[in-house]
Amino acid sequence: MNYNPITALLIFFGISLLLFFVFRPKKGIYSLLKNMYHQEDKMIIEDILKFLYHNQTSNKHITTNHLTSTLEFSNDIIVESLKTMLANELISLEKDSYKLTTAGSEYALQIIRAHRLWEKYLSEKTGFHKEEWHERAEKKEHELSQSEIDKLSNLLGHPKFDPHGDPIPTKKGKMVSSKGIPLSSLKEGDIGKIIHIEDKPDIIYKQILAENIYLYSTVRVIENNPKRIVFHSEGEQFILAPIVAGNITISLLEKDEIQEENIARLSSLKFEETAMIVGLSKECRGESRRRLLDLGFVKGAIVAIDLLNPLGDPKAYLIKGTSIALRKDQASKILINRN
Amino acid sequence: MNTKNIDDIIALSEELRWEIGDDFHDNLSESIYADASRIVEDAVTKDNKKSKFRLDARIDKIVTSRIWGFPIMLFILGAVLWLTIIGANYPSSMLASLLLDNIHPILKDFGTNLGFPWWLNGFLFDGVYLAVAWVIAVMLPPMAIFFPLFTLFEDFGYLPRVAFNMDNLFKRSGAHGKQALTMSMGFGCNAAGVVATRIIDSPRERLIAIITNNFSLCNGRWPTQILLATIFIGAVVPESYSSLASLSAVIGIAILGIFFMFFFSWALSKTVLKGEVSTFNLELPPYRPPVFWKTIYTSLIDRTLIVLWRAIVFAAPAGAVIWLISNVFIGDQSVASWLIDSFDDFGFLLGLNGVILLAYIVAIPANEIVIPTILMLTVMVTGISGGVGDGVMFELDSVTATADILRAGGWTLLTAINVMLFSLLHNPCSTTIYTIYKETNSLKWTVVATLLPVFAGFIITFLVAQLWRIFI
Amino acid sequence: MKNKPQSACETCAHFNADGLKKLGVKTGDFDFVVALAGNPNTGKSTVFNALTGLRQHTGNWPGKTVTRAEGAFEYNNEKFKLVDLPGTYSLLSTSEDEEVARDFILFGKPTVTVIVVDASRLERNLNLVLQILEITNNAVLCLNLIDEAERNNIKIDTRILAKDLGIPVVPTSARFQRGIPELIQTISELANGKIKCKPRKIKNIPKNIESSIQKLSKTIEKEYPNISNSRWIAFRLLEGDAQIIEALKTGKIASNEY
Ligand SMILES: Nc1nc2c(ncn2[C@@H]2O[C@H](COP(=O)(O)OP(=O)(O)OP(=O)(O)O)[C@@H](O)[C@H]2O)c(=O)[nH]1
Ligand SMILES: [Mg+2]
Repeated sequence: MNYNPITALLIFFGISLLLFFVFRPKKGIYSLLKNMYHQEDKMIIEDILKFLYHNQTSNKHITTNHLTSTLEFSNDIIVESLKTMLANELISLEKDSYKLTTAGSEYALQIIRAHRLWEKYLSEKTGFHKEEWHERAEKKEHELSQSEIDKLSNLLGHPKFDPHGDPIPTKKGKMVSSKGIPLSSLKEGDIGKIIHIEDKPDIIYKQILAENIYLYSTVRVIENNPKRIVFHSEGEQFILAPIVAGNITISLLEKDEIQEENIARLSSLKFEETAMIVGLSKECRGESRRRLLDLGFVKGAIVAIDLLNPLGDPKAYLIKGTSIALRKDQASKILINRN
Repeated sequence: MNTKNIDDIIALSEELRWEIGDDFHDNLSESIYADASRIVEDAVTKDNKKSKFRLDARIDKIVTSRIWGFPIMLFILGAVLWLTIIGANYPSSMLASLLLDNIHPILKDFGTNLGFPWWLNGFLFDGVYLAVAWVIAVMLPPMAIFFPLFTLFEDFGYLPRVAFNMDNLFKRSGAHGKQALTMSMGFGCNAAGVVATRIIDSPRERLIAIITNNFSLCNGRWPTQILLATIFIGAVVPESYSSLASLSAVIGIAILGIFFMFFFSWALSKTVLKGEVSTFNLELPPYRPPVFWKTIYTSLIDRTLIVLWRAIVFAAPAGAVIWLISNVFIGDQSVASWLIDSFDDFGFLLGLNGVILLAYIVAIPANEIVIPTILMLTVMVTGISGGVGDGVMFELDSVTATADILRAGGWTLLTAINVMLFSLLHNPCSTTIYTIYKETNSLKWTVVATLLPVFAGFIITFLVAQLWRIFI
Repeated sequence: MKNKPQSACETCAHFNADGLKKLGVKTGDFDFVVALAGNPNTGKSTVFNALTGLRQHTGNWPGKTVTRAEGAFEYNNEKFKLVDLPGTYSLLSTSEDEEVARDFILFGKPTVTVIVVDASRLERNLNLVLQILEITNNAVLCLNLIDEAERNNIKIDTRILAKDLGIPVVPTSARFQRGIPELIQTISELANGKIKCKPRKIKNIPKNIESSIQKLSKTIEKEYPNISNSRWIAFRLLEGDAQIIEALKTGKIASNEY
């Protein structure tokens, strides 16, 4: 073959393009093949169980049509799976709507347990972005065995809540119940604490994440009308559409429970201001939370900005006699009180 | 010891942990700090005279300022390199003439007088000795200048400020600011840089730092860059600018290395290393004036010892291998020329040649010996008489003589540029590979760290070669 | 150096300058093991060099030392093996960068632990000191960088500090060799049991945690009657430290000083 630089380049780009189409994430041929292989019966059955469980409380009648239109599997497979489940007495049929049996409901709880524990694990021990937790847990919940789930729970110290504030069922299927109301139903002047941020649907969850609203932070509603809800939390002001706010659950605080009014985030500290640390946000988790505590970012410590950065971030904070540089996303999880 | 009792203890601890809840660590840390501040109140008195002039703060304001922060860093890098390049010239040629021109003939005579057979004589003195001597002559002077200078900045406390300034860039590429520190260490020696990554407390960023450390041009590669830049790049511009041009070319390559480091950090963090934990914090210590002479002395002694050790352990066997493959014949072709022939086509595609690729394989133990290997093999292939002979590693005293040999071997400006690029982008030396394995404890990451830069090198030199041939 | 080092011991009977021999890397058959622990960048390696005559790398940034280094010195005919450790902020975490140091302090069985602290930043350094005192009964506080503290007008009453902490306190300035003779003297006396420590234990712990700790440490003591730091093990168990659980299961905890 005769050498020509242009042909050489063309061949090179041709091969690169081919590799790209095979291996690109999500839509690549390679990962499509991998996903196809994973569509197993177990997964479908478990997804149906979960779907029924979540709709149990709302007393909706779930028919085959409901299932085929919401679950992303082919209709034949779903119908097939329903038959197996009926035979195994996981579900029962009343007229045309499906109900969970006791066994089915226990099974569903175990999957929910696996899902929430895995989300907790992702939040504590890995660096995956919040956005990805749900999707990853959605896959993993079908892969964990009972003993793996127990081990996981042990490793995490048997947590009661997942990182969105949802209760994690225990091994025996017990769950802490938490009562809350949607943020959209709060009146002006109401004060409460965020106890849950719903991670479905994806579009709304991403909007909440983009705002940097943190779980377990205190909120005070400034304005609530059909167009928007304005509220303060940790010294920042947030504006949400009611439909978005509806996905945030609040537990109302009594007047004597309210202690934190002057709270702000360390990231909002200005040069030459000093402030006192009041604690770390619950969003600061795992190893990085421990490290911050070890470095002296504990309740009561006095903090000021020591150095600004030519590129804006990170900033160096003077704490207990030493200058320590932190990135903005970490500083925003340290709560301070300006005085 | 009773296992049941122990299981009971653990069960009890789990139960109690559940009762106490999440806040255990917070509470414990707070209690300890509360204790600490009570003790300090008792024992420490601080005389707070406000008028105190804080020199530290002044310096910090300047070296991290929006305007001066980055220029100062660039200036220091440039100055250190310039001093290294200029300062190493003279001792380097002195050592070369002493070890190669004077001692080498004496040793050979000595061997002949003792009645060594020709192959033993050649193997020992043309192979092993010359390799060691070359490494010492070329490596020792720049290291002996670079490291003490570096150590002075380190002792002063400037390095953490570099990490502080650059963190944002690292963050955007998914890496850790302290990687700036390990990257700087890598300019001296990649193996040292890889060990230094232990300061990075999050596993993901640590792996990124390990894998990309090789993009810091290490001391074993500086001399190659300097030599080629002087011969080929310096020659393109008018005489009076040539040293400036070659200095900028070398700095350019170093900065290109930094660019690749960022690029691959970013690519790794977005793909294979997705999801590993990441955190960042960096303590900025006060400035401390270095103990000047002591620092210079210590780091000089240390470096000399390390270079000598490497020369003996790695360069010596490599010298032996070079001598062997050039003097062992299959049919009427030496092993070396057979290998060169088979690499030649691939080499051409990359704008290199078979000699260069073979030299890089022989030089896996130590990057230092790439250029002498290339020279030796070129002489053998072209059959010109340039030095001592086949399979003998040697350094030509004058740069012009080296240039003549390389040109006779078919080198063009493109070859030189691509060798400079390939010297930046190829597998780490064997010490570094071994260190990476020890640090990561994983074959997978060692293989990735080894192959990633080679493939990057193939692709980049390939693209440069094609574009060059199309447009120039 | 402005004021020449004034060591009280130079005049006392115990101290003779000839008694010290720096042995470098010769760590064969020693009588005692001494660990150098402390926050990053407090001068541990500098102290190590001053005691052993070695040239362990030092540098003005936290994290210069990342591996364990060993050296030795001889004092009054007794051989001490000295171990320089990477800096740590805390023993309570499970982070990888602090693993080397944490492991040695917990499982390395040092006879004496020298805790090197930065005198100008005592409060933040005490965080680690108080944790180490939960683990060991034989420790000395090396109040290093005292020259910088003096320059910053910080005065430290070492007697009160020693009383509060329950361990001897030696002010040093390792870079200028100040206080090193006293440090050696103290290490030797601690090793030979001439000084007895009564290390301070962490106070101010919230009631519910304190009672859990006590409950747990009593159970541990029942199983391992000879253990001296059941409280620390209880802390770690409550944190769910896998390493400690492992050590408990294998009995490694009881087999040594731990
Ligand atoms: N002024 C002064 N400087 C000191 C003293 N002791 C150490 N230093 C300096 O402090 C810096 C840190 O010393 P190292 O010995 O490297 O500290 P280290 O504790 O080993 O640090 P890591 O290994 O990073 O944990 C160096 O620049 C030393 O020269 C001292 O007593 N006085
Ligand atoms: Mg050190």
